[in-house]
Amino acid sequence: MAEKHKFLSPIGIEEPVETVPLAPRLNSVDGKTIHFCVTGEPDITIFLERQLKSEYPRVNWTVKKSATPTPVRLTEEERKTTDAVILAVSW
Amino acid sequence: MGQLPYICELEEQGIPTMVVDYEDQHSMMRSNALKFGVPALRFVAASRTLPGPEDAARLIPPIMDGLTRPLTEEEKKRGRYAPTQERVIFEGTMEDAEEFFYQTKFIPHPVNAPLAVYTDGLPVVLPSEERVRQMLTGTSHKPDDVITLHADGRQGKKGTEIMFLPKLRTATVEKVAINAVMAGCKPEHLPVVLAIAESGCGIGTTVFFSQWACVSGPIVKEIGMNAGVGMIGPGCPVNSAIGRSYQLMAINIGGAVPGVNRMNFGSPFNTAGTCFAERVDGLPPGWKGLNEEHGFMKSESMVLVGLATGGIYGAQFSPGGYRSLQRSGHGGVARRLGVKGVPGPHNWLEYIIPDIWAGREGGFIFVMAPEMAKHLYDIGFKSKDDVYKWLYEKSFEPLGKYKLRSWPDEAPTQGWTGIERTSGKHWKDLPDDYMIPLVSSPTQNCIIIAGGDEEVCLEIGGGRFIPDPHEIDRFGATAYSIDAWR
Repeated sequence: MAEKHKFLSPIGIEEPVETVPLAPRLNSVDGKTIHFCVTGEPDITIFLERQLKSEYPRVNWTVKKSATPTPVRLTEEERKTTDAVILAVSW
Repeated sequence: MGQLPYICELEEQGIPTMVVDYEDQHSMMRSNALKFGVPALRFVAASRTLPGPEDAARLIPPIMDGLTRPLTEEEKKRGRYAPTQERVIFEGTMEDAEEFFYQTKFIPHPVNAPLAVYTDGLPVVLPSEERVRQMLTGTSHKPDDVITLHADGRQGKKGTEIMFLPKLRTATVEKVAINAVMAGCKPEHLPVVLAIAESGCGIGTTVFFSQWACVSGPIVKEIGMNAGVGMIGPGCPVNSAIGRSYQLMAINIGGAVPGVNRMNFGSPFNTAGTCFAERVDGLPPGWKGLNEEHGFMKSESMVLVGLATGGIYGAQFSPGGYRSLQRSGHGGVARRLGVKGVPGPHNWLEYIIPDIWAGREGGFIFVMAPEMAKHLYDIGFKSKDDVYKWLYEKSFEPLGKYKLRSWPDEAPTQGWTGIERTSGKHWKDLPDDYMIPLVSSPTQNCIIIAGGDEEVCLEIGGGRFIPDPHEIDRFGATAYSIDAWR
């Protein structure tokens, strides 16, 4: 009978992660402050920004743009008055 | 990239989000969202091909729905993600283990093929407990020592725990040794593999990345690395095994899977792994080896771990054409350089510059044969720094031409909203004839002497790491001590 061996795992170590629920969704977007976070080269985000603002004029839109995949983050102060965030386009 | 940690942070703070990505990147996004604690993150996929206005119109309803649709029970759940971390992954005979380690998993679009789960697609040396124990005799570090930085560097301060991309995993010395066994390494190779591990074995996600490593210092001779002809090709068990261990660490420790989080074509450098050695005896007088260039002593061993984010070029001229240039001033190279009939030495770099930047700007790793370095020395480049300065000065082009490149739209100019580094002025305030360097700084280029007598030069895009957030090659080649891992 062939000898048995133990073979070790080459897989990297992952720490356990406590997972959290999604934030509660908005009842309506009217009158809300929605932040549009643009990352990467301008492309559909140009049209998204334009059309979002046009189709949802009762939303208070805020926008921050980064030419790289690293977003320009909202400050803690800005987060207090931000009701929702759209990020586009994530790589 | 910073997107998912940010978005997950917002969700945790009670701010609902919607992320626009691409369909083929869903599994990468899901995996990252889980890693950052918000597995139920809502995504909507943009099209890669629809015209912008049409796609934007299509995306708006699902985006707004994602912000307003009440949460499902699943999305309201708290939980704990605790992947199994067994040390022994399989127990059985060698034959059964071969089958286990050779298993594949079908990866759907954009791959649509079965891919190896634990290997690079080729059979491996099975990592039995006995073999791993033997491998660990190659280092004084304990098996459960965590891989951390031995010096301040690109990834942080000395002592920083190394996160292996893309799954942000960590590793112990034993984990690295297991992968080294699988790659076919011997215990004396382990310090090199551990030093490569210190790099985190980063991969590209959506761009062409080629991983390579070059060893410098006394260890090259000690362990029998090939720094001569064929050093990047097959044949040397040491070069091959160490190069392969780099790939296996990216796959197993980092969790890199094509089509899941490794979204580019792949690279021939990564197929079987690429590690070679510097030929220190080929350095012209006064030229520093890689170890001395990176702050180590001549007696110290180090490895330069590179990510080629640009092209890999070579063979722009024939070796015979090169000899004709230098010995008699004959041939096409001599004609282009305007030295027809004049014997050398001539600056052969003039032949490949500036075309080398035609397709991609940024630094290059110039791997050149000793004879070619000697010719540069003979015409007056008494140090590598002299060559770096010359290359940098040759890299300038008018802004009007620079604007016709792709990458400058991104980090280098911050979308043309930033400050141009050589003038200190806003990009938009500069005239089109203002000269822009295609290389961030002279030392972003790097010269490695290797190879044999055949007159060959290889240029690996990506260059050397420069600590500059405006740099396109944010992950350029970085040096790590091998001796620290002995």
